[in-house]
Amino acid sequence: MVSYVLKRLAMSLLIIYIVISLSFFMIRLMPGNPMAALESQLRMQGGLSEVEIQQRINAVYSVTPDAPVWEQYVQYVWGAVRGDLGRPITNPGTTVVAVIAEALPWTIMVVAVSLIISFVIGIAVGAMMAAFQSSRWSQSVTFVVSFLSAIPSYLVAIALLYVLTSVYQVFPSGGAYGVDVTPGLNGPYVISVLYHAVLPIAASVITSFGGWALGMKGSAVSVLGAEYVRAAEARGLSDRRITQSYVGRNSMLPMVTQLALSVGFMFGGSVFIETYFQYPGIGFYMIQSVGQRDYSLMMGCFLLITVSVIITNLLVDLLYPLVDPRIANPAARARAADQPTDTDQEVLPAGGSMA
Amino acid sequence: MRFLSDLWRILRHDKGALIGGAIVLIYCLAAIFGPMLVEVGNEQDASQAYLPPSLEHPLGTDALGQGVLSQIIVGTRPIMIVGVLSAVITVFVGVAVGLLTGYVGGVADTVIMRITDIFLTIPGLPLIIVLASVISTTNPVVLAFILSITAWAGLARAIRSQAMSLRSREFVEAAKLQGVSLGNMVGRQLLPNVGPYVAIHFLLAITGAIYASVGLFLLGVAPISGNNWGIMINLAMAQGALYTTDSAFYLFSPMAAIVILQVAFVFFSRALDSVFNPRLRVQ
Repeated sequence: MVSYVLKRLAMSLLIIYIVISLSFFMIRLMPGNPMAALESQLRMQGGLSEVEIQQRINAVYSVTPDAPVWEQYVQYVWGAVRGDLGRPITNPGTTVVAVIAEALPWTIMVVAVSLIISFVIGIAVGAMMAAFQSSRWSQSVTFVVSFLSAIPSYLVAIALLYVLTSVYQVFPSGGAYGVDVTPGLNGPYVISVLYHAVLPIAASVITSFGGWALGMKGSAVSVLGAEYVRAAEARGLSDRRITQSYVGRNSMLPMVTQLALSVGFMFGGSVFIETYFQYPGIGFYMIQSVGQRDYSLMMGCFLLITVSVIITNLLVDLLYPLVDPRIANPAARARAADQPTDTDQEVLPAGGSMA
Repeated sequence: MRFLSDLWRILRHDKGALIGGAIVLIYCLAAIFGPMLVEVGNEQDASQAYLPPSLEHPLGTDALGQGVLSQIIVGTRPIMIVGVLSAVITVFVGVAVGLLTGYVGGVADTVIMRITDIFLTIPGLPLIIVLASVISTTNPVVLAFILSITAWAGLARAIRSQAMSLRSREFVEAAKLQGVSLGNMVGRQLLPNVGPYVAIHFLLAITGAIYASVGLFLLGVAPISGNNWGIMINLAMAQGALYTTDSAFYLFSPMAAIVILQVAFVFFSRALDSVFNPRLRVQ
């Protein structure tokens, strides 16, 4: 168990390090890179001495621009590790970390709530579909669910905006809470936050629960045909027992694995949803900074989204042995590997392959 | 030919898949021949703006007085080109990496799979947005490479697990004893056995790439030039189409075009699934 945790932890740290290096590479080393662009822009403006230009760049990217590249790299990585990601070009009065720290909780709230809601609804619908496989109901639900899961979330967001904030003004069209409430733990604020979060959450749930439902159906159908289920039936176990501990638990396994993969997808989709609902999360700032060519803020958002995804993956990985004890126990894993697994039943990631 | 007759037999009984396949075909034809049949001029006529649907403009006109339908038809090609190119890259890299590592195994397998894990963990869309904004290209090939930067990893993992189970089969043993080259082993022995999975994944990769590329244009991350659905929605939103009642057709037509194509791909891929996977047919 300890070695399993350590391995996961090392892998997560390695990926974070690689992403930091990648973002340094993109800022500094690519032809026509943002740092050179900023330097020439400052020079064009005139009225700044060479030293001042270097200081400005240093403030924005927190590296010394005339130092050798490897030294800049060390500065950048060390800065990122200490939580210093420079300053936004468009708003040098604050730091990238401060902007992100304000935005991240909103994103995490919306992503977590919509992931949980769509997972629960999807699993329930999928299990029902598997239970009544050949009924008319199941066929029509399969149709609706495949239809919904094929629609891009940003289009649902636009449609919701059009119908519910423009034609019928039921919901607010932007912001995380109303202007008339004071942030804090009071009733009106909480209600306002929930009220503003309804549309973003609805947009991602509508487009993502279908993937879960289809995955769960496929997984449950293949488990229903398994020998051990027939053996359990033959032993005369109650239906309830079979559904819960034989079918339910085993068909949930691939779904839980999928949960880890889909976290990244949900964070990615939140970029679109937050932009359209003007929800002040990290994706909203990321797109804004792209529009304003504010590369230090953009890279900060990218780093933070990646780190959030990696941490969530790590949590799921650590929780996984609870669901499937074979993972952390090498002997049991070896036994499981000997059994031929059914690769045809591979579940496709929710929302297509762009996870 | 077996494949075609099988496909037809399945499609005949599965209305959803038949319609899906037909729609995909129509879009392909529109992408190939569309720009020859209709053209979107540069002339702007403000008096023609936001017209309701008419015989001349079946889906109304946009803010500049140009037909929405002709823009959608012309916009099909760039979207399809990027989608297909990106799917080709995704599938090629994914299958090559998956088959080679699965078959060869050993240290190379471990190292390459660790790299694949890294690409699987990094969230794809944010990385694509960052790359697209730094590179800022209109070249469809470069765009396709950006879009497939993480998509290949999932396929590589799935193909690898299939290659590992194929490795111990008799025909692979036989080929190995005959001393065939690695290229022959991967290309002629292993590839045909994962073909069905690859074909379905190819369609899904197209939908994924279309989702992401339309998203890039929609958000204005990729440069706005030329004409495609994402740019149309982007312009419609920027001109306040949400808040003017007469622009519903202008805003929703490109959205409908995307939704119809995506749904058609998914239903068509389901039919392919049951052609290749006879066990699904029995169920």
